[in-house]
Amino acid sequence: MSYKIPMGPYHPALEEPYKLDLICEGETVTDAKLHIGFNFRGIEHLAETRNFIQVIALMERVCGICSNIHTLTLCSAMEKLTGLTPPPRAQYIRVIVAELERLHSHVLWAGIAAKLMGFKTMFMTCFEIREKVMDVLQAISGNRVNYSMNRIGGVNREIEDPQSILAMIYALEREMVKTIIPIFTTSTTARSRCAGIGVLTHAKAISCAVVGPVARASGVGQDLRKEAPYAAYGEVEFDVPVQTDGDVRARLLVRALEIMESCKILRQALTNLPSGELASGGDGSKFSFITGTATARVEAPRGEVMYSVSWKEGSRTPSRVHVRTPTFVNMPSVRYMVQGARLADTPLIQASIDPCYSCTDR
Amino acid sequence: MSAVESITGHLTHTLSASEPLNAPWVERGGVFWLDYPNLEVREVALAMNAVGARFITITAYERPGQDGLRLEYHWDLAGRLLGFNFALVGNSIESIYDICEAVDWIEREIHEGFNIEFTGHDYEPLLLREGNVCGVNLREEVAK
Repeated sequence: MSYKIPMGPYHPALEEPYKLDLICEGETVTDAKLHIGFNFRGIEHLAETRNFIQVIALMERVCGICSNIHTLTLCSAMEKLTGLTPPPRAQYIRVIVAELERLHSHVLWAGIAAKLMGFKTMFMTCFEIREKVMDVLQAISGNRVNYSMNRIGGVNREIEDPQSILAMIYALEREMVKTIIPIFTTSTTARSRCAGIGVLTHAKAISCAVVGPVARASGVGQDLRKEAPYAAYGEVEFDVPVQTDGDVRARLLVRALEIMESCKILRQALTNLPSGELASGGDGSKFSFITGTATARVEAPRGEVMYSVSWKEGSRTPSRVHVRTPTFVNMPSVRYMVQGARLADTPLIQASIDPCYSCTDR
Repeated sequence: MSAVESITGHLTHTLSASEPLNAPWVERGGVFWLDYPNLEVREVALAMNAVGARFITITAYERPGQDGLRLEYHWDLAGRLLGFNFALVGNSIESIYDICEAVDWIEREIHEGFNIEFTGHDYEPLLLREGNVCGVNLREEVAK
């Protein structure tokens, strides 16, 4: 006899409100239905009432974890409509902040995953290390969440002393290598809770068009930083970690390896930071937009983000801003991940895609 | 033959057009567009599946004045963003959900936000939960 167990919209295992209706046979989940929309704020509609400065501040608030990625993508799209190209130093600073954001996002996720595994000590360790990444971001931008780094044509803030940031990165990398990665990859707790759990097959990953670490953990080696390099990603060397098991452990390993790759990118970007201007396009108070639509994509911590921005020449506000976030495409695949899983594993399985519902609902 | 050219070749077959499809791909605003007026969305979706392109999203736009709505469909092919534009006759277009599973949520979201009917796709509410709001044009509602 099957029965339905609702999980959410408000539940200790969920970081944000959404709802999973789990159809169970005994302790086994046979199917699931997902309900989103609890964070819907109408941001795309609001964007149409904001000018080119206000819209950047608005879209930075789509997400509290990957706020910088949203402004980076939006500004990249608006640069195509204004004909501006950010100077080389700005391109490198964009890479640095984006990778720091990936670091803190992945470590935050590792902490939450540890908590859901019942590994509370690891949760505290992850958050302690994440604080150090946040310190670096604060040192650069003065902010811990919304960094306000991006503007049309470049960045707002300088990295005045790359060497001091570099020293912080080395310290971070040592802690990652010494603590987080070995524990997650070798501990019996992590292995027993993650291996073979919540499998998303390669075929299903393709048909659901999942992105980011979720795709890469199912053997789909896509990463826009390699396939369609933006900012200064074409000038740094790094690998794209890919695992093929498609389970929670594979998603964990991909993120752990990506932490190391982010450190590698940060070392190169900080060492080779070119001199020069922070932005093109004057003081940033006036821009000439052409009529049309421009699209930009970047590889956010959770996967590909895409912005389509439409503007009419002479207008102060965009006529349309459409945001496609990674969780919006990854989330439907949770239905397949939980089929056949034990009920007790579903909190960890749904968390393994690193969902962000603020992004998803907008 | 490049991957993008192979799409054009594939569309020539699937469209069963009497003349070869020779509309050029045009790069505009970061997207490679195939500006061909007679494309049909399901045929494009089949062609995208055939070349292994990854579905990205659909974006709905209101055309100026009383010209109705249009949809932009995007796929990724080896890092290249491909775009196809479809002007809507009335407020409906064929769903490609049975061809491309990944469109499920975005078709449902556009249905709720723009009142566009994707024929052949059964809907359940996605973003909006209260009452019988499925299929309301939110822009018109907000304007009221």
